[in-house]
Amino acid sequence: MTGITIKCAPSRFPNEIYEVEVKRDLYKCINCGTCAKVCPFGVHERKPGYNRISKPVSYLCIGTSCEDKPFYCVAQCHRKALSLEKSPNYWTIGDYRWTRDLILGTWKQAETGIPLKGRRYEIGNSGGGFDRMFFNFPEEDVKDKVEEEAISTEIDLNKRGGKKISIKVPFYGGGMSFGSVSLSVMVARAKAARTVGTFTCTGEGGFPEELRVKIVEFKYAQGAKPGLGGHLLGDKVTPEVARMREAIPGTSLFSPFPFHSVYSVEDHKKHVDWIKEINPDAIVSVKVSTPKDVDMVAVGSYYAGAHIIHIDGSYGGTGAAPEIAKKNIAMPIEYAIPIVHEFLKEEGLRDKMTVIASGGIRTAHDAAKAIALGADGVVIGTAELVALGCVRCGNCESGRGCPRGIATTDPELARAVDVKWGAQRLINLYAAWKCAIVDILKRFEMRSVKELVGRYDCLTQVDYHTEGMNS
Amino acid sequence: MNRYPNSEAEGGCGVVGFASTIPVKGKHIFKPASQMHNRGNGKGGGIAAVGLSHEDLGVTKSILRDDYLLHIALLDPEAQKEIEEEFITPFMDVDKSERILTVADYREIEGLETRPPDVWRYFVRVKVDVLDTFIRENQLGDRDRRKAEDEFIYQTSFTINTRFYASLGEKRAFVLSHGRNMLILKIVGYAENIVKYYKLEDFRAHVWIAHQRYPTKGKVWHPGGAHPFIGMHEALVHNGDFANYHSVVEYLEQRGRHPLFLTDTEVAVLLFDLLNRKYNYPLEYIIEAMAPTTELDFDRLPPEKQEIYHAIQTSHLHGSPDGPWFFIIARNEPYEDYFQLIGITDTSMLRPQVFALVEDEDVQIGLIASEKQAIDATLESLSEEDKRVPSVADKYWNARGGSYTDGGAFIFTVRWDERKTLVCTNKFGEMVKIPKSKMHCDCTLPIILPPDNVKQRERIEVALKSPHKFFEFLKRGVKEWDCNTLRSTIAELTTYAKEDERKKAIVIEGLTLLNDRRYDTGNRKRSSVVQIIKEALHKIFDETPPLEVKRIGIYHLIHWSNKDSLRSPERDEDILIVNVAKFPPEGEGSIARLFVKAYQMGWKKFIVYNAQGQRFFGSGLGPHTTGVRIDVYDSPGDYLGSSMDGAEIYIHGDGQDQLGQILKNGKLVVFGDVGQTFMYGAKGGEAYVLGNTAGRPLINAVGRPRVVINGTCLDYLAESFMAGDPLNGGGFVVVNGLESDAKGNLREQDTPYPGSNLFSLASGGAIYIRDPHSKLVDELLNGGEFSMLTPADWELILPYLKENERLFGISVENDLLVVNGDKKTPQEVYRKIKPEKIPLLVACNEEDD
Repeated sequence: MTGITIKCAPSRFPNEIYEVEVKRDLYKCINCGTCAKVCPFGVHERKPGYNRISKPVSYLCIGTSCEDKPFYCVAQCHRKALSLEKSPNYWTIGDYRWTRDLILGTWKQAETGIPLKGRRYEIGNSGGGFDRMFFNFPEEDVKDKVEEEAISTEIDLNKRGGKKISIKVPFYGGGMSFGSVSLSVMVARAKAARTVGTFTCTGEGGFPEELRVKIVEFKYAQGAKPGLGGHLLGDKVTPEVARMREAIPGTSLFSPFPFHSVYSVEDHKKHVDWIKEINPDAIVSVKVSTPKDVDMVAVGSYYAGAHIIHIDGSYGGTGAAPEIAKKNIAMPIEYAIPIVHEFLKEEGLRDKMTVIASGGIRTAHDAAKAIALGADGVVIGTAELVALGCVRCGNCESGRGCPRGIATTDPELARAVDVKWGAQRLINLYAAWKCAIVDILKRFEMRSVKELVGRYDCLTQVDYHTEGMNS
Repeated sequence: MNRYPNSEAEGGCGVVGFASTIPVKGKHIFKPASQMHNRGNGKGGGIAAVGLSHEDLGVTKSILRDDYLLHIALLDPEAQKEIEEEFITPFMDVDKSERILTVADYREIEGLETRPPDVWRYFVRVKVDVLDTFIRENQLGDRDRRKAEDEFIYQTSFTINTRFYASLGEKRAFVLSHGRNMLILKIVGYAENIVKYYKLEDFRAHVWIAHQRYPTKGKVWHPGGAHPFIGMHEALVHNGDFANYHSVVEYLEQRGRHPLFLTDTEVAVLLFDLLNRKYNYPLEYIIEAMAPTTELDFDRLPPEKQEIYHAIQTSHLHGSPDGPWFFIIARNEPYEDYFQLIGITDTSMLRPQVFALVEDEDVQIGLIASEKQAIDATLESLSEEDKRVPSVADKYWNARGGSYTDGGAFIFTVRWDERKTLVCTNKFGEMVKIPKSKMHCDCTLPIILPPDNVKQRERIEVALKSPHKFFEFLKRGVKEWDCNTLRSTIAELTTYAKEDERKKAIVIEGLTLLNDRRYDTGNRKRSSVVQIIKEALHKIFDETPPLEVKRIGIYHLIHWSNKDSLRSPERDEDILIVNVAKFPPEGEGSIARLFVKAYQMGWKKFIVYNAQGQRFFGSGLGPHTTGVRIDVYDSPGDYLGSSMDGAEIYIHGDGQDQLGQILKNGKLVVFGDVGQTFMYGAKGGEAYVLGNTAGRPLINAVGRPRVVINGTCLDYLAESFMAGDPLNGGGFVVVNGLESDAKGNLREQDTPYPGSNLFSLASGGAIYIRDPHSKLVDELLNGGEFSMLTPADWELILPYLKENERLFGISVENDLLVVNGDKKTPQEVYRKIKPEKIPLLVACNEEDD
């Protein structure tokens, strides 16, 4: 369907968190096996040679959306022995930005490669930003008007002439350094990116020999780390990390902020020239936060030689900054994107520069909204980690704090993520996202994601307009 | 008027300025301005000239001295008649008016894409009765009448600008300058094209400044936004971008000043004018109001200064520009009969700046620029025309912003009297001096063969047995011989170098040692010696057979014209001599790229000369370059040796900024000073610096860099150093705090570290600083602590100090460990600074879970 091979990659944990608890009243159940026969999802199983039905595999259940289906086990059971309830551990995860449904939905997509339909898997509960804007799809049914296979999700990263570098999907992985995450996570991300035809970013911590660098990203600022660089505390500077960063084990590493050799736009140009001198083939991405004059920064970066302007808004995540800094800075990304888009158009530079947005892009819908606001593509971070099973507990910064073995280089904990499995989870996620984006494009009768760029008319902001909300 | 005007995006720029006791022609601003192209983007440039020549302007001396020189730029020719009718004819006596001559078609000038505005020049005085009325109406009776006239002119210009260049209306005309004995011109293009277009090549002035702008907003560029901007009799150019533009605008508006051109630079000069003309502050207070002294520097001021500075800061802090900035001001002070060139840097020294001074019998020149190579380019240009001017300055230095030592500002003052003299002072009025007993070698005189010429030749032959013998011979000669003998001997050497390659190698090495080492130059200036050596080395390099000539021999010359003949070397020891002139500073055709190609072809040894600010030497060579050796002469640009991994680079002179950035492995030796952010983010390698470093050396370095700095550092040494435990394979910096005196002897500087921040926020590594008199205090540290030098520490640093001795002749036993003539132990001389141990920042050893 999408040109990407998906393969089922279920959770590594036998008792993963799930939404629906399928309960069987054992006093009522007669083990007739009807439920096992009807359920297409494998929730109920009657193993050959056993008298009793196995305990329901609740996390495979699709929940109440099964109610009107002929295979609804609750209705099919003559003895009324089955019932569905919200699982108690469903309530333990989620917050306003990443609701429990978004987390579970991402897990599901990472497992199956199939996008989930339904508002709750597309929108969070933050009360603002992308959660208060919706696509206003046209009424007519366009099922047969545009062939899905013909719809392109490719975007160009180098629009300045020279070698053409494009990616097959309008997103790539954001910078997460070796040390903040484990080697298997890094390699899994790299493998997935390569399979799907996009990139992943190594972050500031160096990279293993095998990965060849095509794009150099200058991170001037990160929306989530105001006035600071990333902190990798001594605990996380294991000998492997130290070797890769050419540092000394056990010593805390503070990524500098600002670049001390860049205090002015001509310094920035000098800096870009420097990188081009060291690797003349690399294209340059300038990653900045979203200050009030983000538009000037974009233009200045263009003239300094950059190919990509990467704006990072305030909703982004980081495990690598002090508590006090983590959430409260920079302009929301949904304001910054159209500002940069319009200004580059005014300056006649829009088709010469690629605009990438990041900072809290959680779903394919967030990505598509960012593109409709004026970005060419997005960079994702947390979404990838959630796909690998992250529960968003926020204990990333300590060396042995990550319960899922993702944000750690501790050799024991890191074993929880296997490279092949991790890569497949991400491939599935990318496939699901691609599918969802194609669906959105199809409904607008667009043949390419490039047609969606800057199409504000496709969006409605709910707080200011109440009509025109389609689903 | 717009309450919160959207300021134009500013930020980048290159600035240069010089003041001279002899009048200098406009063409000499050309070279430094064009070498700083990569600091601008060609969308704006400007020049100012002060202390003009009345003959070049076609007026009498008294008119030049007394009249206001109005330069009005006309974007709409119709505007001229209107301006004259409304503002000039009714109120002013015009002594001369003319359209400034220009080249016939601006398109003749390469790179000039926008037609520069026509400029009309008027020499005016305000009519007597008009001035009387003005004084009466504004109650200026108690003022000096001349100052009231100044104000009249100032207000007229303001009105003209408001009417004809309003931000919301059509831009038709504006006043470029109105001061006495000064002028300004600006265009949408590179600054040096002003000289070409307005035919100023032979136009003379005592003070020149130029600015290359890098604006980032707006498709249509207007010349009005370019620098310099005017106060009354001063022109200001600015490199940087302040963050509190709106705050300064508010501050000015509260005091009746209204900015018009929407750039932060304009408010800077409005601020200057306010403090100077309205409040009559002396220059020292103006500088304090703009760049306040704070923290440890404030504590070190004498109490009377603290009191007055406190008062200034209380009143003026909100008008103090915040953020990276460096100003150069060219001004005429007609009430005190002098011209001035002033350079002021912001307190955090976030913009690069270099000052230089030439002090001879016949000519004195003060220079200021964003990059040292611009200063050298200016001197080269000047000395080509006038041999009295040396091509090397007597002294180069950086200012330390907001400091108690120099206040972050230096001022070159040229008095108008018959015998013009130039004096250089810092913010506090303290003079910068060159030892007076030294003489400059007059290279305009022809060389006469000395009488004992034959004997001299014999002595040379003997000395040429070994480089060291040869160096000793020359060293003695520099002290003992007269100028003529010195010049003729060195000229002879170029002949020897041609004889055979063995002699050539010894001559090159000997002359290089003569250039690098510090020794007694007798009653001759060191800068003269350096200049003579430079010319000799250039001749020797120039006379090397070019690369395309196949022959037996290890030296091969490549330059801009034959660069396409680059081929692989015959032998490993072959040396590629590279003349860098004409190569662009960066990009595909740059010298840095040529290096990479040459290295990939197999070249390992390079001699590089005639560098004029080209950047990125030695970058991009890739990993594992051990065995590569590069010797660099003259003025290399920024980012030299960055990302090096194994090579050795020797700089026979000063380095600029970002030297050795992210250096991984290898050796960097500098026989002079270095600029900002030296070895920023370095991960290893060895470095030896003979002189001083500017701000932020070794900041954010990790791993195991090992550095010896014989001079000192301006400030922020090793901030956020993360280089582990030096006693366990980590990195460190040794700072000796020494300098050479006039006789080439070493002496301690006033303090081993003049800055206010040392080793701040470091989590690893250590500093070993030579501080026998315990001048350094705890207040300098932030996260670091002093500790005693242990035998293990001394064992660690000694081999590097020994290498330092071998390279620079600075003896461990007799120089470093001797204090006031007495021999001391290492513990008495060196102090160690290491990070405070905070558990959160350093891995815990216990097994915990």
